Amino acid sequence: MAIKTILCIEDDRFIGEMYVRSLKKAGYEVDWMVDGNDGLIAARNKSYDVILLDVMLPERRGTEILEALRGGKKDLIPNSKVVILTNFDQNDESRLALQHNAQAYLIKAEITPKKLLSLIKQLDSDDS
Amino acid sequence: MAIDKPPQLVKDYWPQYRRRSLFFVVCMQIIATLVIVIALMLAEVVEPTNSIFWIIMTAIGATAVGINILVFSVLTEPLQMLSHALAHAAGESTITTPPNPNTRRYEKSGFKPLLQTIYELGGSQPNAPSESHTKGDLAFETILGTSSTGIVFLKEGNVIYANKSAPIHTDKDGSLQLDIITDVDQTIDEWIAECDEHAVNATKTWRRVANKLVGEDERKIYDMTASYQKGSEVEVVLALVERTDEYLPEDNDLDFISFAAHELRGPITVIRGYLDTLGDELSDRFANDEQELFNRLVVSANRLSSYVNNILNAAKYDRRHLTVHLHEESMGIMYDAIKDDMQLRAIAQNRLLAVSLPSDLPTVAADRSAIGEVMGNLIDNAIKYSNDGGSVSVSAQVVQNSVEVSVADQGIGMPSNVVSNLFHKFYRSHRSRETVAGTGIGLYICKAIVESHGGTISVKSVEGEGSTFSFTLPIYATVAEKLKAGDNTTEGLIRHHDGWIKNHGSMRG
Repeated sequence: MAIKTILCIEDDRFIGEMYVRSLKKAGYEVDWMVDGNDGLIAARNKSYDVILLDVMLPERRGTEILEALRGGKKDLIPNSKVVILTNFDQNDESRLALQHNAQAYLIKAEITPKKLLSLIKQLDSDDS
Repeated sequence: MAIDKPPQLVKDYWPQYRRRSLFFVVCMQIIATLVIVIALMLAEVVEPTNSIFWIIMTAIGATAVGINILVFSVLTEPLQMLSHALAHAAGESTITTPPNPNTRRYEKSGFKPLLQTIYELGGSQPNAPSESHTKGDLAFETILGTSSTGIVFLKEGNVIYANKSAPIHTDKDGSLQLDIITDVDQTIDEWIAECDEHAVNATKTWRRVANKLVGEDERKIYDMTASYQKGSEVEVVLALVERTDEYLPEDNDLDFISFAAHELRGPITVIRGYLDTLGDELSDRFANDEQELFNRLVVSANRLSSYVNNILNAAKYDRRHLTVHLHEESMGIMYDAIKDDMQLRAIAQNRLLAVSLPSDLPTVAADRSAIGEVMGNLIDNAIKYSNDGGSVSVSAQVVQNSVEVSVADQGIGMPSNVVSNLFHKFYRSHRSRETVAGTGIGLYICKAIVESHGGTISVKSVEGEGSTFSFTLPIYATVAEKLKAGDNTTEGLIRHHDGWIKNHGSMRG
């Protein structure tokens, strides 16, 4: 399955715009949500190939969104890959808790748009 | 018999009591024997001139004295043991070993609870001054007890005395434990072990040692000096000068900055992100020195990001929250992750960075992200502290069960008195304060990370000629079994150099 659609849930306007710009330029269809509630609704309404999820979000935290989508008995986003992008250095415990429901956990300050694109290509090739 | 003075110490009571009692027993026996002799003679049962009679009576007297002494010893044994136990519980130094309540004989006779009660009562008040001290002891107690310097006496690794200012606690068995975290440098135990082997007299000072981790209540920070004297009654004396007021503000600053650092990462993300993007998009349009200036922007942004990581790691390490996840890694591949950044930093400051990592090096057990930070810090330091146009060389070789990586520069070097403090938190040499910007936590965190891997970090330096920093990492094959058995690997988890990515072995490299 080739990755085509991406949902970006990111409240920092500059960071969000930066990622969206590069992803669109690379040919992906990108929807961008700035708060946690809208992000959760978008993820429920449409099946995305990749969800880029910030942790510190207004309204609803990234951890809560992930819990709502994947914490129950049924995985509500079975066809999506989740990439956690955060600048908040969590302790190992919460990091490992997120790991269960995500494909990657990355520090935003270390991930330039170029690296993000290569990561998404990587996720794509791992699947095929 | 000389008249004994009243006992001053608990331990003095028993020998005195025993002496007096034995004297009494022997006298009574002699009197009893004499009474019998006189009675027999008065009754004219025997002739006073009969030598056999005297021999028999002397033998009876001597045997009776012996039996009485034996009976006395058996009957008063509990009293003797209780005295020894009391002297021990009172904290007096004695040559006798305190009676062991777990001896089978004591268990059978029911004596065990008595001894235990004494030890428990003694243990609950380890510092209560005994009322039966000599004047010398009282003066000693008064001086040490009121001193603001913590004083601790150690013998065979155990605390045998501590004054009120010393950071100690009593554990469940009633023994005193020192509350000092010295693992950033050599630990006290390691130092004592080293002294036991190599020294007769030795002293060592630890700076900035704390009783608790950063963030815990009632944290105090000390400068601690230890004196070792082989074979002395008090083998090790520790003097702890509390410097909390001086050191704590810096620790609190670091704590505050680590919170702020998360905020700093937002703008850094945008700066690095767009520099990366624009570097590609604008590369055709750069003229003259614009590319070089642009590279300086990239280098500065990357450095800023590394500094933020150092601060966050140091704050995590101080709270013992820094964990490394060890996996089989190749030195070459780990370096590749930071290669572009390092080359750019070298070029931007007109240094030649020569890296030669042999392709046949064995794999090591390492946390890729953490070792990337160690190499980044060492190479960045070498660039900063070398001269314009100078070269920095990175090499690696196998040393016993480890791979040793060395970063050498031909820069300003350091005098030897600076070297021993280099890996301490916030340490900056006099010269580096004047010439190069920095926080003094880069090498501190390098040491913490390398030692968390079971490796060591060291430096050789000649002033004016340059420095070589080396660190070792265990060869993977030598620790593979241990890693598999322990929890150092996290299932299906491979650390990417910026975080982790799940189940993607191909992300390596």
